[in-house]
Amino acid sequence: MTDTAIAHGPPAAVRRRGDGWTATALLTPATIFVAISLFAPLAILFRYSLNEFIPAKKLMVEALTLANYVKFFTDPYYTAILGTTVKIAVLVTLVCLVLGFPLAYVVARTQSRWKHLLIILIVLPLFVGNSVRAAGWMVVFGSKGFVNATLMGIGLIDRPLEIMFTENAVIIGIIAVNLPFMVLSLQSVIEGIDRAVEEAAFSLGAPPATMFRRVLWPLAMPGILAGTILTFILAMNAYATPFLLGGPLFKMMAPLVYNQFTQQTNWPFGGAIAFVLMAVTLALTLAANLILQRRARG
Amino acid sequence: MSNRYTIHRRSLLGGGAALAAGAAFPAMAQDNKRIVIGTWGGDYSRLLAKNIETPLLAPKGWDVVKDEANDPPRRAKVLAERSLRRGTSDIQGVSAANMYEMNEQGTIEQLDYSKIPNSANLIPAMKYPYGVGHIFSGKVVLYNPKLMAAPAGFADTLDPKHGAKLGIIDIQYQYTMLAAGMASGGSVGNFEPGKERLIACKKAGARIYPSNEAFAQALKTEEIACGIMWKARAVQWQNAGINVSTVAPKEGVPMYVSGFVMPKNAPNKAGAYAYLDAMLAPSAQENFAIDMGYNPTVTNAKVAPELRERIGFTEEEQKRLVDLDYGYMAKNDSAFKEWWDKSFKG
Repeated sequence: MTDTAIAHGPPAAVRRRGDGWTATALLTPATIFVAISLFAPLAILFRYSLNEFIPAKKLMVEALTLANYVKFFTDPYYTAILGTTVKIAVLVTLVCLVLGFPLAYVVARTQSRWKHLLIILIVLPLFVGNSVRAAGWMVVFGSKGFVNATLMGIGLIDRPLEIMFTENAVIIGIIAVNLPFMVLSLQSVIEGIDRAVEEAAFSLGAPPATMFRRVLWPLAMPGILAGTILTFILAMNAYATPFLLGGPLFKMMAPLVYNQFTQQTNWPFGGAIAFVLMAVTLALTLAANLILQRRARG
Repeated sequence: MSNRYTIHRRSLLGGGAALAAGAAFPAMAQDNKRIVIGTWGGDYSRLLAKNIETPLLAPKGWDVVKDEANDPPRRAKVLAERSLRRGTSDIQGVSAANMYEMNEQGTIEQLDYSKIPNSANLIPAMKYPYGVGHIFSGKVVLYNPKLMAAPAGFADTLDPKHGAKLGIIDIQYQYTMLAAGMASGGSVGNFEPGKERLIACKKAGARIYPSNEAFAQALKTEEIACGIMWKARAVQWQNAGINVSTVAPKEGVPMYVSGFVMPKNAPNKAGAYAYLDAMLAPSAQENFAIDMGYNPTVTNAKVAPELRERIGFTEEEQKRLVDLDYGYMAKNDSAFKEWWDKSFKG
């Protein structure tokens, strides 16, 4: 009996039932955790976003109104902040892709025994928290910081450059935070592409650019998608970097949400902005996904 | 005989239960002696420990736990916990304007001053029904004497003529609008006349800094030459070697009071009262004047004459001290912040 079971496995019906239970047991904890920690707060927040806010008393009042969403989309101040956020997220994602692809390719293809060290070097920045890194950038970018002191020291400029508290500082900061995510996503996929495929393209007479366009790029598409999605989402929701490097005059969505909740205690409007941010991030991610996949197929 | 040293199953269970019960008592006792205080981090928190908690509360067995954050997230937390039977903090440090606002929101306890013996010496203006003033200072003009002559007041400081040498602190938007209002003929109950002045300063290149510390840094590197800030902060920065002098503005010196309130659902109200009492002890108040440059809110604290000269106000200046219109500020704060973000900074 035992021997038979080992040789042929349990009957199909028994196996399926057993598998089902195992699957349920494995899925339940994570499902409950996600349901409680993600969907429940989201549902409450969405309900709040339909409430009213009395500015004079800074109190939320139960209501069922879309006024907060209308306020966001009809006020150019807020739509401009959304515009800036999307612009920066797209720019950062593109730069990360352009900078990250060659790096990921080299790391994936290298035969060096230092490969592990290379990967650790790429991951190393993630060991330091976002805000700590932003603090480091503040030292580098300040009017008497490293960059300005060096440039003035060697006589290239005579007045300090305004880097700190500008859009450029934020863009540089977010790229630095997001680049490792892009490189790691690309590297793992490029590693899985057989080198022989590239060599086949070369031996059939394809120049490097053609090989890249017709062979490497389409095969690396899953990695490109994963990397760009991850980078884009992180950039859309960046908080510490724009807050610390952008300064008081620079605005992005995540600091705006925080500001509404804590400074203004305007939870209904803060909730509405949070949902707008989430919806726009989701919609743009899906759209980019569809376009890229269609391109790859075409 | 052979069973003499054997532990029986029943006695083991019984002993275990007794141990568990015994262990529970000290834990409960400890809970009653725990005070959770919400406060700003940095110097304030460090000095609360140095001047109040370690010398006055620890010897009486109180165990103080700190929840350090800026006041907006702490106030948001108290508001979010409003419906809970037991909140997570016993006492919260906020400004007088925010004490007023929290009271309006109905989140804080009306105090029983008979439980705060040291409040007998409290300056009457610092005795709010819903909170206790801990330290106070005034909004003054700060300038670098190396870079410019002393301005006469707010109008002379919040002036486009300074261009990019004027620094403005983002989180001080309420008091900056108040100062600009007073400079342009407004009052503590009318900030409107100052708006135009602020926009003109911004157009002329005034620099806006996210925090008090960033403003201090800019004073130090001489990126800016003047601005407005609490006198106590100026004293602290002088102690840190920054070349900065102060002027009590001729338009009036708006008072800044930092105090403590107790959330209605504070789990340890006895502890909160013990803290409120300890912070008004003369020794604690005197040390805050020395370490932080703020004025004591009790009349029996002894401040050395030369220190009083640096942190306090002369008799003539004291006549110009003005208390704020907290009702006006609370009612219009959302509108002010919106104007500040959209029209002034935007």
